[in-house]
Amino acid sequence: MMRAIFAIVTLDLKRFWLDRARLIAGLIQPLLYLFVLGAGIGGSMRMGGGDYRRFIFPGTMALSLLFSATFAAITIVFDRQIGFFKAVLVAPVPRSAIALGKIFAGALQALAQGLILLPFAPLAGASLNLVQGLEFVGAMALAALTFSTIGVGFACRFTSTTVFPIVSNAVLLPMFFLSGGLYPLTAAPRWMQVAAHFDPVAYAVDLMRGAVLGVYFFPVPLSLAALALTIVLLVWASVRVFNRGEDDSSLGASKFNWRR
Amino acid sequence: MPDTPSTPADPGSPAVEVRAVGKKYPKVEALKGIDLTVGRGEMFALLGPNGAGKTTLFSILATLRAPTSGSARVMGRDVVTERDAIRREMGIVFQEPAIEQRLSGRDNLFLMGLLYGHTVSGARKRATEILAQLGISDSADRLARELSGGQRRRLELARALVTDPKILFLDEATLGLDVDARRVFWGQIRGLADAGRTVFFTTHYMEEAEVADRIALIDSGRIVALGTPSELKARVGGGVVTLRTDDDATARAWLGEHGFAPAEGGQAITLVHADPAAVLPELLRGLPVRVLRAEVHAPSLEDVFLKLTGRALEPGQKP
Repeated sequence: MMRAIFAIVTLDLKRFWLDRARLIAGLIQPLLYLFVLGAGIGGSMRMGGGDYRRFIFPGTMALSLLFSATFAAITIVFDRQIGFFKAVLVAPVPRSAIALGKIFAGALQALAQGLILLPFAPLAGASLNLVQGLEFVGAMALAALTFSTIGVGFACRFTSTTVFPIVSNAVLLPMFFLSGGLYPLTAAPRWMQVAAHFDPVAYAVDLMRGAVLGVYFFPVPLSLAALALTIVLLVWASVRVFNRGEDDSSLGASKFNWRR
Repeated sequence: MPDTPSTPADPGSPAVEVRAVGKKYPKVEALKGIDLTVGRGEMFALLGPNGAGKTTLFSILATLRAPTSGSARVMGRDVVTERDAIRREMGIVFQEPAIEQRLSGRDNLFLMGLLYGHTVSGARKRATEILAQLGISDSADRLARELSGGQRRRLELARALVTDPKILFLDEATLGLDVDARRVFWGQIRGLADAGRTVFFTTHYMEEAEVADRIALIDSGRIVALGTPSELKARVGGGVVTLRTDDDATARAWLGEHGFAPAEGGQAITLVHADPAAVLPELLRGLPVRVLRAEVHAPSLEDVFLKLTGRALEPGQKP
């Protein structure tokens, strides 16, 4: 089981390395938020007890992690159709190992993307000392794992990649906008504060922001518990879908028949 | 579905045992009660036209689909309840490529080894071994997509053999290969079978089926004939007359009126007869058309299929 997970992760990371140009392309969106949106909005107001760019740095990090983890998960849809994965499906490997392998691989890819963004922190005014840095990276790792389970949780239900932009607009962006990544939740309307309690991205942003600013919106144990719960629930749900695929070699997605 | 803990399977059981297997899809009934036994160490071909149910039966045996009725066992184990036990003992070459094109052959084999529970060093060693065994060490470090079609197919075979399987499944494994590459490929498969592995393959090329010890002809979800290549040919009895004329339609009509049953379709008129050499002069005298060419030959598997189903095996031979 462990070796199978290791094999799936190795496969995905090897493929990821072939596409390493994506790492650079993946920087563009968060840097735009940070230095264009950040400079524009930051120039017109002061908030969060400091520079706006410093405030939204954790938010843009979350954005980067969220999208790269989801993008990694989308390979499941391609995998089902072509290549090496057909052989994986007839290996004596539990479907749960495939699900877990994809989740870990996605988390590692997102984390790699995030670590490339991290050196821009001082430029955004968010200089971190060693303790803060470790806390921040720890929060990044937990966020990457959470977002990867979210990505796999969605991707495993689709047999076509054309739905991805829909999912991204209908699910990922709302989750990001609700998370308080670009504004302080303390100043948000009541309904948004309530909604943020159901948004895993909000807890991830809050943990990272706490590492930078030392101020948290949610109690830290609540954030940790919420992310852990998200991971557990989505891993369970994904493994269930993968297991269902035993009889139709599509890893279960065809049972949903969401072909568009 | 959880796998039952593996109990040792009976080593004397057949390699493949299929009993009354049926498979219904929502719109079609792909298999209508298949019975089949393949002995250990046998090289067995499933021959039939596209859409006959070959791939469905293959997928059931390779644990990729469950039958809707009947039961199937591979190496003494049930294809539904003892899936993982079968998977540990089988290797499979698919119709479509199942290697990662953007990785080298060596990397592909290494990852496959890991999936089958080898350690990192064990998987490396196994990859090197199998590359040498199949004579593709030279191209092992090139990306799979840079290889020729034949080399890529051998890499697929290498991938299937990483686990040292007792039974090898091949589904239309040489689709798209030229004649030379096919010959090399089947030479290697024959070698594997001679070394004691069971080989079960599907094909719609009759000359490929000829290398098998036994052949099952499948059509419309049923096995229509089963036997060694020579047994099957003997079922046609006698031989085959092939005629080319300047007016096939008139010739066919005449043949029909005079008690002959020419096979439907095909670029020429083919006629199975108990004594073709004796009947040929009669045909040449009687036919109201000009005969451009006449041949008498021993029956091929194609003729067997024609006789049993009334249809041509390879779609290219339909008019």
